[in-house]
Amino acid sequence: MATLEELTVEATAEIEAAKPMYKQVNNDRLEFTDADYAQAVTDLANSKWDTQQFGYIQARQEAYGSIGDQLDMQYKDILNDTTTWKDHIAQVKSDHPKPE
Amino acid sequence: MQGSLIKIDEEIVTSAVASISLLGIDSTYDVYMVKLNNFSSVTTGATPRVRVTKSSSADTTANYNYAAKQLRTDTTFGNNSNTNQTSWDILNALSSATGNIANGILYLFNFNNATEYSFVTMEITQRSNEGLHRGKQGGAVHTVASASDGIEFSMSSGNIASGTFTLYGLKK
Repeated sequence: MATLEELTVEATAEIEAAKPMYKQVNNDRLEFTDADYAQAVTDLANSKWDTQQFGYIQARQEAYGSIGDQLDMQYKDILNDTTTWKDHIAQVKSDHPKPE
Repeated sequence: MQGSLIKIDEEIVTSAVASISLLGIDSTYDVYMVKLNNFSSVTTGATPRVRVTKSSSADTTANYNYAAKQLRTDTTFGNNSNTNQTSWDILNALSSATGNIANGILYLFNFNNATEYSFVTMEITQRSNEGLHRGKQGGAVHTVASASDGIEFSMSSGNIASGTFTLYGLKK
């Protein structure tokens, strides 16, 4: 798991590689100021941090499937004495682990 | 009533830029409206970032709260909310693939009021970076009691590929 400092180094390299960057104001295309570039590094590092630390939450929500589909799995598990739903949930948790 | 929507600023992105600012909010109107049309991202999976501007510069302090319902065609609707962020995350991830664009309307309240927080309501329809149709409806607040004179759009990474961003005032 990368630290915020390590992600900031990564973000700095990416912003350096992306230069020149532009902003559009009053339909003028202006190159970023030094302050804009510094903010872009901070924003990108924070975004990477959020994805690393909390990205699993949305990834799990999407992978679990709808509640209706999960209820259908549970119903069929009861009828057939299977563990499809439990296995599915375990697989999703394993595929998208919570950072330690 | 005819002439009730007054265009104040419009930014048409035809060449990729990292951010766009819609400026010109003052005491002329109480409520402003932003129209997002065909908003797309250069980077697949990048999420639009929205900030208020103070004296034409984006406010990057951690005072952005939002809560929204995420409408989805592929699974159960979700909830998105957060507090004390450095921007509003009020759209879903985008990409530059054909059709993966966002369209929507934001209403801006109290932006010019120096003694109240700046509030936003939003209604977005889009095809996400996975090519799924999604929508978002909800609200956001910037918890700083000072006047905001505009709104800035950028991406969590990479550039805005295209889009027409228009700011209107709602005639009193």
